[in-house]
Amino acid sequence: MMNSLRYLLILVACVGATLPLEFALRARVYRRPRLLLATVLPVAAVFATWDLVATARGHWWFAEHYVIGVRLLGLPVEEWLFFVVVPLCALLTFEALGRYPGSAVPRHTRRAAEGAGRGR
Amino acid sequence: MAAEYTIAAIAAPVAVVALELAVLRTGLFRLGRYWAAVAIVLAFQIPVDGWLTRPEAPIVSYSARATSGVRAPWNIPVEDFGFGFALVTLTLLLWRWHQREQRQDA
Repeated sequence: MMNSLRYLLILVACVGATLPLEFALRARVYRRPRLLLATVLPVAAVFATWDLVATARGHWWFAEHYVIGVRLLGLPVEEWLFFVVVPLCALLTFEALGRYPGSAVPRHTRRAAEGAGRGR
Repeated sequence: MAAEYTIAAIAAPVAVVALELAVLRTGLFRLGRYWAAVAIVLAFQIPVDGWLTRPEAPIVSYSARATSGVRAPWNIPVEDFGFGFALVTLTLLLWRWHQREQRQDA
């Protein structure tokens, strides 16, 4: 029983470990749901496609007894969630680094500087 | 025959970097906190991926034909770090690109 939750629990641990970044370091990732969806959906689509091709060609496969057994297009639901959870963790880390009170440049100044330095 | 996952794990980071340099041009690679975030996320990939690929109880197994056979650290196929870098970098690129679009609309 616990074995089948193994992959899912790893993902839960990733979400749990990064959740404080949203609040303690004010990462503001969950609080921008439209931006989050617009970012994560295309990323998940690209990497799920890679995953579907790779599993079809036998590059890798999943142990039946460590997943809950729900599959979408042949991939365990945990693998789909992986492509949401990992981008979330990356965004929370990136945004937390930008908000950290000890960062040298105030946010509005940095934003202006980034805008000015950006070539087109 | 060359290992397909090895090729894909090199091609994907190259494609994502090219997307930034040629198309999106968000300036992400000039930010110190991008490199810090990548370093942190890839560091956390080691325990997570290490658990997923544990040799005595692998959740994910890899074809010897599709991979280079290089496993480090522990039993993690080295290709996974190319996959991880591409996944994280594409995410941060699109996030910044959408943010810039929103600001221009405002």
